[in-house]
Amino acid sequence: MAPDSPVYVGTCGFSYPEWIDAGIYPPGTKSAQMLGRYRQLFPVVELNYTWYQMVRAETVERMLAGDGSTLLYCAKLTRTMTHEIADDWQAQADLYCRGIEPLSASGRLLGVLVQLPPFFRRTPENRSYLARLFDALHPLPLAVEFRHRSWALDSVFKGLAERRITLVSVDGPPLPELFPALDVVTNPDLFYLRLHGRNSQGWRSGSKQQQFDYDYTEDELRQWSRDRIPNMRAACHAGVILFNNHVAGQAVRNAQTMSRLLR
Amino acid sequence: MERKIVHLNIADFSVAVERLLDNTLKGKPLIIADPSPRAVVFDMSDEAYGDGVRKGMLLNAARLRCRSAIVLPPRPEQYRNALNRCLDHALHYTPLVERSSGNGHLYLDVTGTHRLFGPAPDIGWRLRNTLRRDLGLDPIWSVAPNKLVAKVASRLVKPRGEYIVGGGEETSFLAPLSLDLLPGVGRADLIRLQHVNIRRVQQAAALSVQQLSVLCDHRARLLYQAVRGIDLSPVRPDGPPGSEFRHQHLFSPDTNQETVVRAAVATLAQQAGHALRQRHLGCRRVAVTLLYSDGVAVVRQAVAKTPVNDDPALQQLALAALYRGWHRRVRLRQIGTTCSLVQHPVQQLSLFAAIDLRRQKNKRISEAFDAIRARCGQDKILRGCQQPLHGGID
Repeated sequence: MAPDSPVYVGTCGFSYPEWIDAGIYPPGTKSAQMLGRYRQLFPVVELNYTWYQMVRAETVERMLAGDGSTLLYCAKLTRTMTHEIADDWQAQADLYCRGIEPLSASGRLLGVLVQLPPFFRRTPENRSYLARLFDALHPLPLAVEFRHRSWALDSVFKGLAERRITLVSVDGPPLPELFPALDVVTNPDLFYLRLHGRNSQGWRSGSKQQQFDYDYTEDELRQWSRDRIPNMRAACHAGVILFNNHVAGQAVRNAQTMSRLLR
Repeated sequence: MERKIVHLNIADFSVAVERLLDNTLKGKPLIIADPSPRAVVFDMSDEAYGDGVRKGMLLNAARLRCRSAIVLPPRPEQYRNALNRCLDHALHYTPLVERSSGNGHLYLDVTGTHRLFGPAPDIGWRLRNTLRRDLGLDPIWSVAPNKLVAKVASRLVKPRGEYIVGGGEETSFLAPLSLDLLPGVGRADLIRLQHVNIRRVQQAAALSVQQLSVLCDHRARLLYQAVRGIDLSPVRPDGPPGSEFRHQHLFSPDTNQETVVRAAVATLAQQAGHALRQRHLGCRRVAVTLLYSDGVAVVRQAVAKTPVNDDPALQQLALAALYRGWHRRVRLRQIGTTCSLVQHPVQQLSLFAAIDLRRQKNKRISEAFDAIRARCGQDKILRGCQQPLHGGID
């Protein structure tokens, strides 16, 4: 591992009509053209739509066919395994593994994000479920993001390290229940940082437009680029940094600043 | 700006509502049909569908295929209420909400709402969660740049799921699919295309309008656009909830006699007019649904420039719609009318005395009919164009 291991900076999602209003994409850009435009801005993207709907191989193949050949991907795990755990979640996990296969086979899948909701606390049932979920998704490159602070325990980090699963570092508003901002590395293959913005008022509003409405200052970003990322980078072969504060294109501008700070 | 249409489809809508009203029906095969011997299947559950029951099938035949099925009579009022409650939730996101055929389909045009509510898939997901939590219904949802593609996407994941198709992906999304998934492509079109071994959308998409017109005549342009995912039709809000009026008549025996069919249309128009006038409303669109003996269903509609509610005007609209869709010699089993685009009738008073006397007269006669029927009963007075009909009218 080297301090200059590659770090890829991008955003969570790329298909936002408001990014046309914000001047990120030219006027008249259609959804199908957005990925092509995005590729000119960043080397990595986190796929959001895979959270809303089960990923399908034919959709992924269409996407790969139209994106050139260099863009790297992270993909969210579908909500039926994280937020709305279905009775047939094991079948869902099989479907997901099959659907993501073309991306996996292309060698451009950096990580599968298992984003767990705030109400998913550390209970015996949830621990057991998580262990079974990880088994069902093996050997996908998993990264797990907790939203509840009950998971911020050394024993959890140790368990993840044993499985070589990445603990997602998060930057969010300073709310007592939220998982804290840590730079713990549990997988030497990848560190994964998600920056949601620090909008404390909007976080619990129930509206994503308020929850992720935040513009990081350069000083706030420097806290990561100077104080934390170097350590994570030194402990990993690669890293991804993704901005989720998509409202009004703030994520794009902040990601560009972060890229500059890391150079 | 790229259009964003959210389509919600509550699969087997009437069955879903019946199961909401009676929990014990969950998991059991269910057929919705009038209990009369010549009734046809209105809707059925997945279990009954699995046994071969289909919409429009004779109830007796359906019972033979699924002997364990519970048969319930349709309760249109309950279904309408449930759909109106869905509509109320949908209206939270956009005023442009269209109810399609009253069978559990809602289209929302959420174009330009992203700053308020976020991305369109998020609206679909939230709305589905709301309906599940508040009403116990679990709709399929899809997001697409138009109604046609959204409906195909929903069909792909039926009976539950979701599908997102981005703007510009319409053609590649539809290309590998079977042609029978496209709304508006009828059985006759499919058969003609199959004669030249065209079964997939991408095969039909390779043909020009001229080539398609050899196979499908005047429907070539429509087909040409459909296989490319082109659908410019707007989402048409229907007005206030509960503003769709449906009536239907079951012929006994099946018939293709024009006088009998016209008489049925006249009676249905009179019923629709009565319902509209009671509420001081008028409608601009009348759709006629024809169900043939062999199960083929055809829907055609006619639209007026201004809202109407007197019987002759409604009858004219219904007849126009009827003759647009009635081209087969096969006998008809059922006919239905749906009055939509319901509004309060607006009467622009003329500065001069050029009042439409005929219309005024029709209006007064219709009101007189209503008064007599209110006092003496619905079947005590008929217009000359009507015939006393044997068989039920809803």
